Amino acid sequence: MGENLKRIMVIGGGIAGIQASLDLAERGIKVELIEKNACIGGRMAQLDKTFPTNDCSICILAPKLAECFRHSNITLHTLSEVKHLSGKLGNFTVKVLKKARYVKQDECINCGQCIEKCPMRVDDEFDMKLRKRRAIYIDYVQGVPSIMTIDRENCLFFTKNACRICEKVCEKQAIDFDQKDEEIELNVGSIIVATGYDIFDPKSLESLGYGRYVNVVTALEFERLICASGPLGGHLKRPSDKNDPKKLAFINCVGSRDIKNNPYCSSCCCMYTTKEAMIAYEHDNEIDTSIFYIDLRAAGKGFREYIQRGKDQYSIKYIKGKVAKIIEDDQRNPVIIYEDINTSQVKQLKFDLVILATTMIPKKDAGKLAKILGIEISDLNFFKVNSYQPQKSSKEGIFLCGACREPMDIPNSVTDASGAAAKAAEAVMRG
Amino acid sequence: MSYNYFLGCVIPGRLPFLEASARKAFEKIGMKVGDQANCSCCPDPTGVAQLDNESFLVLGARNLCLFEESNNNILSLCSGCSETLKTVKHILDNDNEKKKKINMKLKEIGRNYKGKVDVKHFAEALFENIEKIKKMVKKPLKDLKVAGHPGCHYLRPSEIINWDDPLNPQTLDKLIAAIGADPVDYTLKSDCCGNPLEKSDKDISLTMLEYKLQSMKEAGTDCIVCVCPACYQQFDFNQKEVNKNKNTDYNFPVFYITELIALALGIDEETLGLNFHRIKVKEILQKIS
Amino acid sequence: MQMVDFVFRNELIKEDFSLNYCYQCGTCSSTCPVALITNGEYNPRKIIEQSLLGFKDLLLKDQTPNVWLCCTCQMCVEECPQNVFLTEIFEAIKNRIVLLGEPYPETYKAQAKSVLENGLAIPLTQPIIRRRDQLGLPNVKSANIEEITKLLETTNFKVKIKFLEESK
Repeated sequence: MGENLKRIMVIGGGIAGIQASLDLAERGIKVELIEKNACIGGRMAQLDKTFPTNDCSICILAPKLAECFRHSNITLHTLSEVKHLSGKLGNFTVKVLKKARYVKQDECINCGQCIEKCPMRVDDEFDMKLRKRRAIYIDYVQGVPSIMTIDRENCLFFTKNACRICEKVCEKQAIDFDQKDEEIELNVGSIIVATGYDIFDPKSLESLGYGRYVNVVTALEFERLICASGPLGGHLKRPSDKNDPKKLAFINCVGSRDIKNNPYCSSCCCMYTTKEAMIAYEHDNEIDTSIFYIDLRAAGKGFREYIQRGKDQYSIKYIKGKVAKIIEDDQRNPVIIYEDINTSQVKQLKFDLVILATTMIPKKDAGKLAKILGIEISDLNFFKVNSYQPQKSSKEGIFLCGACREPMDIPNSVTDASGAAAKAAEAVMRG
Repeated sequence: MSYNYFLGCVIPGRLPFLEASARKAFEKIGMKVGDQANCSCCPDPTGVAQLDNESFLVLGARNLCLFEESNNNILSLCSGCSETLKTVKHILDNDNEKKKKINMKLKEIGRNYKGKVDVKHFAEALFENIEKIKKMVKKPLKDLKVAGHPGCHYLRPSEIINWDDPLNPQTLDKLIAAIGADPVDYTLKSDCCGNPLEKSDKDISLTMLEYKLQSMKEAGTDCIVCVCPACYQQFDFNQKEVNKNKNTDYNFPVFYITELIALALGIDEETLGLNFHRIKVKEILQKIS
Repeated sequence: MQMVDFVFRNELIKEDFSLNYCYQCGTCSSTCPVALITNGEYNPRKIIEQSLLGFKDLLLKDQTPNVWLCCTCQMCVEECPQNVFLTEIFEAIKNRIVLLGEPYPETYKAQAKSVLENGLAIPLTQPIIRRRDQLGLPNVKSANIEEITKLLETTNFKVKIKFLEESK
């Protein structure tokens, strides 16, 4: 086995994939990091702060992103997807489709002139569709690689053979409509899958009114609303009338621990609703927050103390009682109907804004990727793990880490990634 | 297999005019439904079922047997009856032990439950014929704002009833639209009318009714439509009671969906017994003629 | 002080195994219309809690919460994340209240009596028969009462509900 087989592919550029890549690169192993989106960073880049330290998420993430980009042992393939796999441990051949960016990587300086002039408005997925981006865009301001991308499904040049304004205003002449998709073949010794998660869409839970009541949002939408780089510039306003919300309710276990939807516990909601309530209070200490829970699951190190801090220093009210019904009054204020299990009273309570902590679910296309890689899916649709070595998939040489194998928070994803990196490296070094 | 009516107790014994419109509507759309002799109380899922489960099962099973023996499926005119019969069928078809036990008791009266009949709520049959109904409409009920009340036993528990969306029901509204009327979208559509609580606490029962009426009023309603005689009673008889207790002035005329369908298909309103409604329907009839 | 009655609790679980699955989240009371109207005095979650704990006296004698206030709308059953069949469990509890001869709302007994004596909850009266004629409705024969009586003897129905008459 030759030198090139001391080469490992990491599929997924979120915090788990990034950590695994850095671990491997530091030990002298070549890494092919494959990311579907235009930039790496994943879900962590969407968060405002992380628990239990309440550090700024992007501040912790950015150095790792930069390192991934710069490291001589890491080759970053963004806008790329794995299409075909053959071979076995020690000698996998992977066909990767690299979509064209239509922007010259070496010329673009991320100045933003093209974005200002682009006439098209597209739902911004990074900002949970809370605002519009342009057809030429970067996923998020601090995104790596720090270059623009043209979304050809919404670009007027590709759809109607018109416009080309970005080309005209780019001082570096970095726009290149002639770029083509490329299929490349990579030879690697082992593979790490770190494709992350999607969130459960609570629209199917009729009684909660998400989708009908505009002041009922999901937790990830709330992250974007309070984030300084989000659509509101960090000044929390409620969707219906742009007033400052003063009373917030966080509802845990939305779609989780539920045989009819997702039977498992999403593992992070109890912690991140506390975090979000803390951040809201920091923005405005007149804000009154309540968290409605079934059980408070705060099992990690420092987590229980975090919850206590929430009660003591941030005036968060914790109410035991799952909320299963929300209605709306004529001012579009969401009204929660709940039982306070400690007092057995059932009542209605009006809030300005309600945040739903929804389940972390496997990515929509996880099944497709599993088929391509020839690995099994568990009956909950996460990638199936080996019971005694949870970073091993059902196929030798393919490893799993992070939320793509089970719901987990950032600290756990990072340790999981290091574990998978060690295993993947071991598999490759053996030869 | 063809269908026979299961009439229940409330309709033939108290609200026979609802039966009249049902028979006429089905006849008009060409669905032949016969009669089944010898039926007993289904039994009432909000009554006998609460007192003794075994008696509930044997009475229900006996009714199912009658239809089996005459080789007919069941078309129920009442949501309570259809829920009971669907539940008894569901239990006996899925639990062999229970089925054996119940059959041993049925043996005493020379009957045996095999599990061959299908139970259908009459609105299911109407919905299945919705295209036909649409084509046969002679007098569309234009601009009539109808608040559809699907009721509880028509929808839930969905595992047994297995028909419409239990939390966001559509079929009744679609039937309303099919005859040219405007189905009102009001917030408490899938809520209970409160009728079963008449037995235990009339106050709460009337409060639940009041909430429904309020929600319907806020959304702009001309009349209410039901698919269950218990709900019909609650709305037609008790708006007066709500007004007494809560100082309101609700006066919505109440119809069975078969009555509105019969009117839309051009059936002579004189034959439908609409004068037997407690809340007068004259205004509505004038509006749609 | 309430004592856990394991025999009673296991009996209930045997009759409806889904009772076991409840993790006391409060979804049922959140969606229950009667719980809201009574401010939690009627409380489905609490009834299930008492069933899980085998609090026989609270459920059958004191009847707090009053299980007869369930309106059978089945919203709790529809929304329960553990598929606990609450209304079926409530029926099992009510059946036991009746069997024990504990008090319960009169109207249930009245309907049961009618079924026993007429085979119907609402017997056909003369005025109604006339009205049916007026409307051109057929004369559909209802159940043979001897058959109903015989059938209900196999389940001891008369004895079960007679308890209340005797305790008066």
